[in-house]
Amino acid sequence: MSTSMNEKDQYRNRIELLQGTLDMLILQTLQWGPQHGYGIVQALRLRSGDVLQVETGSLYPALHRLERQSWVQSEWKQSESKQKARYYRITAKGKKQLASDLGRWERIVEAIGSVMYVKPEESES
Amino acid sequence: MNWFPSFGFQRRKRELQEEIDAHLQMAIADRVARGETARAARQAAAREFGNILLVQDVTRDMWGQAWLEQLGRDVRYALRQLRKSPGFTITATAMLAVAICANSTVFSWIDGTMLRPIPGARDTGDLVSLQRGERNFSPTPPFSYLDYRDLREQNRTLTGILAYHNDWIALTGGAQPERVYIANVSANYFDVLGIKPVLGRFFLPEEEARAIPNVVLGYSLWKTRYAKDPAIVGKSIEVARHPVTVIGVAPEGFVGAAPGLRDDLWVTLDPLGTDVWRMTHRDSDWLIVIGRLRPGVSRGQAAQDLDTVMRRIVSAYPDQHLGDNRITLDPMWRSPFGANGYMAATLPILLAFAGVVLLLTSANIATLTLVRFVSRRRELAIRQSLGANRMQLVRQMMLEGVVLSIVAGVVALILTLWTSKTFAWFFPANSIPLVLNGNMDHKVVIGIAVFSLLAGMLCGALPAWRSSHTPAKEVLKAESASISGGSGNRKLLSGLVVAQIALSLPLLLCSGLFLRTLRNLAGANPGFEQDHILTASVGLNIAGYSDDEAQSIRHKILDRVSALPGVEVASLTDWIPMTLIQKRSDAYPEGYVPHPHESLLVENAEVGPRYFESLHIPILEGREFTLNDDEKAPRAIIVDQTAARRFWPGQDPLGKKLRVLGSLFTVVGVVRNSTHTFVNESPEPMVYMSFFQAGYETIVQVKTEGNPLDLAPAVEQAIHGIDSRLPVFDVRSMRESTQLASTFAVIESSLAGMFALIGLVLAITGIYGVVAYRTQLRTHEFGIRMALGASRVDVLRLVLVQGLWLAGTGLALGLAFALGLTRLIARLLYGISGNDPVTVVSVVMLLGGMSLLACYLPAHRAMRRNPVTAIREL
Repeated sequence: MSTSMNEKDQYRNRIELLQGTLDMLILQTLQWGPQHGYGIVQALRLRSGDVLQVETGSLYPALHRLERQSWVQSEWKQSESKQKARYYRITAKGKKQLASDLGRWERIVEAIGSVMYVKPEESES
Repeated sequence: MNWFPSFGFQRRKRELQEEIDAHLQMAIADRVARGETARAARQAAAREFGNILLVQDVTRDMWGQAWLEQLGRDVRYALRQLRKSPGFTITATAMLAVAICANSTVFSWIDGTMLRPIPGARDTGDLVSLQRGERNFSPTPPFSYLDYRDLREQNRTLTGILAYHNDWIALTGGAQPERVYIANVSANYFDVLGIKPVLGRFFLPEEEARAIPNVVLGYSLWKTRYAKDPAIVGKSIEVARHPVTVIGVAPEGFVGAAPGLRDDLWVTLDPLGTDVWRMTHRDSDWLIVIGRLRPGVSRGQAAQDLDTVMRRIVSAYPDQHLGDNRITLDPMWRSPFGANGYMAATLPILLAFAGVVLLLTSANIATLTLVRFVSRRRELAIRQSLGANRMQLVRQMMLEGVVLSIVAGVVALILTLWTSKTFAWFFPANSIPLVLNGNMDHKVVIGIAVFSLLAGMLCGALPAWRSSHTPAKEVLKAESASISGGSGNRKLLSGLVVAQIALSLPLLLCSGLFLRTLRNLAGANPGFEQDHILTASVGLNIAGYSDDEAQSIRHKILDRVSALPGVEVASLTDWIPMTLIQKRSDAYPEGYVPHPHESLLVENAEVGPRYFESLHIPILEGREFTLNDDEKAPRAIIVDQTAARRFWPGQDPLGKKLRVLGSLFTVVGVVRNSTHTFVNESPEPMVYMSFFQAGYETIVQVKTEGNPLDLAPAVEQAIHGIDSRLPVFDVRSMRESTQLASTFAVIESSLAGMFALIGLVLAITGIYGVVAYRTQLRTHEFGIRMALGASRVDVLRLVLVQGLWLAGTGLALGLAFALGLTRLIARLLYGISGNDPVTVVSVVMLLGGMSLLACYLPAHRAMRRNPVTAIREL
């Protein structure tokens, strides 16, 4: 049981790195309709042009955490291919959270951008 | 095995599994759709997904229940480890169970007595017991009725204040009169205590001081004598040949306001109108008073308030209140009235001893645990190198201790169900309605839980922390070189052994002192004859004879019993010494000016002719009472040496006058001091009045030629020959009666003795275990030493010195600890001081000698080893 401790810690670190961002991505994906875990992975990969490859070890903990925070709800449904799967749906609270996450994300991007693309004369003055 | 069955948790686990399965199925289906073979698709999907168990693990962490599952795993692991060494598990559990049981037993006794002072009463924490004047360990009732009334009406800090007076009486009207314990109570008695009747009603305020013969029955009397008659209310019963009306029945469990004493029925203060004198005189102190504090009022504030009222009373009636009149308050758990004063002096000390036993046991188990962990260090090191962090290991090892202690706690709980009830065994037959016993309730269960968790932590935490300290690499590399788990472990082991010896020494010393106290008490000369004396109580008053009838019966008893063969002397008295019963009254010697606040209380007894002769109490001056000292003669009194010296220092007391209970007495004799209540009491002045002038209770006291109990049937028969309806009770030898006075010494010495024995065994096995263990680890080294020329004696010395060093340190520390602790028990000792050199030396010798033996055995074994095989043994 404890043999996996170090590996487990690594996973945790990764979640922390992506935390916020991954939550936002999941919530955004669910904006387009209820989806199961596998579907979320596929959707993110497709829409990011194969750049974002979400680890299952990050995805499922995130989904279960979001559910605990009542940002998503889940129910068991049949998929188109007759596969019984757990579908997650974004809640009203989740949508509010998504809006605030997006706002924060934009501010961060802007802030990072303004650091990265500083005009030389401005910095010298 | 599922130790924490949590349905929701299991369902969620299953759902997570299904969710992951669905994920994999869909991934496989997608790949197959893209043209991969089923097998390749399955492999790729699995690879892509990653470590399924790990994903489940980290996901479950999000549920916030992970700790529960982890705890379940740790508990299972701990159980597996404990099952692997059944010897250790059983020994440790048994030792812990005994130690916890020692604590919970004493605690259940405290719970049944001090913490439940008045069973059935509401909020006994708000009740206070009032005492007036000089504080006394076993005081007599301190208040007169009129003073009580003034306190009740004028105080501003109590919501209620009740008064009662305990007595006994005979229930007549049946075939045989039956002695019952009765209390005269103020009308608000049940209200202040918060008791509701199961039948009928209690007393009304207007009934309090009037002669209305109403009675409230206790539940058990109602049950046993009246077979729970539901129509008892309104019926007339006969008490001491007077018809009285039952107005109510008290609830089950309630036995009166005096802690530890039982009342069978209750009447108002003067139900027959026969006690007008004590209802109207302020110098007749006969009531015990209990108040209930107003919310938010402290005991100190109430004492001040009541003291102010009392001062007003004293200045209005100075002649009836000579001496000290200050009011002091006690909470019920240590109220001096009833049994709790004695309990409070004894039981907390015994609980402290039991606590030491628990500490000692924990230290002993900690050594065993440490040795176990050392032998498991390889396993620990492997787990550490596989990624277990130190906290996890410590938690797991501590859990083994906790599991042990929980099992031990359960065993102790079952044992305590029985041991809690053994308290009553200590009390010999007596004439006091004692209802003392242990009690088992939620408080005791919580106590057991606390004791066992504490013990579990103690015996698990230290070794666990220590053992988790060893660097894994070292252990795995050097399998046997860093033997005994490094110097850290060695220090801890030594510390634990020293602690055990240091803790057991005070137990041994205290028990030695208690045992010698008991012997001194038994051997002490109380100043009167205890052998060949038989006493029997005759219920003359309580059976309701007229005064003249009673007086003539008394004379007949004296005549008939004296004439019995085998009787040397027969006498009458109304008091037996050393039975925890005392009578006190204010005595005002003529011409004596008391100091301010000087108590004028004297003990008194009423004794008949030849009383002193039968008890071998010498008359120092004057004469003993005779049959002529009767109601027609002038009042005569005999004083003891203490009274004579106090009231008439340097003068001849004969012919001096003394006013007691409103009558003037002339001193006709002086007798030698004798014990009144306890052998170790400080002597109080005692006055003896003539039985035929002032006697109340009738006790026949017979000096016999042979065994006094042989005469018991004949004496009873002689009394019943006068009137077969005469209640005769408490027929006992003087030896048996006076045993009650040493009950508490017996309790103290037997418990302290038991605890000390446990302590001794633990300390000796502790030091033996550690020395033997270390010696075994050093077998190889000893072999080499001997091969290199060391003699067997050298090896012996090596081992012995090591062990004795531990024992010596423990003894030194323990002695310091013990001498500090004996100050706490000094008050309970008799004829011996707390640091009595003989006891101290013999206890140190005992412990030291046993330790020496415990070290010698392994040393001897090491010495006898063949060096060749010793070297081979690694």
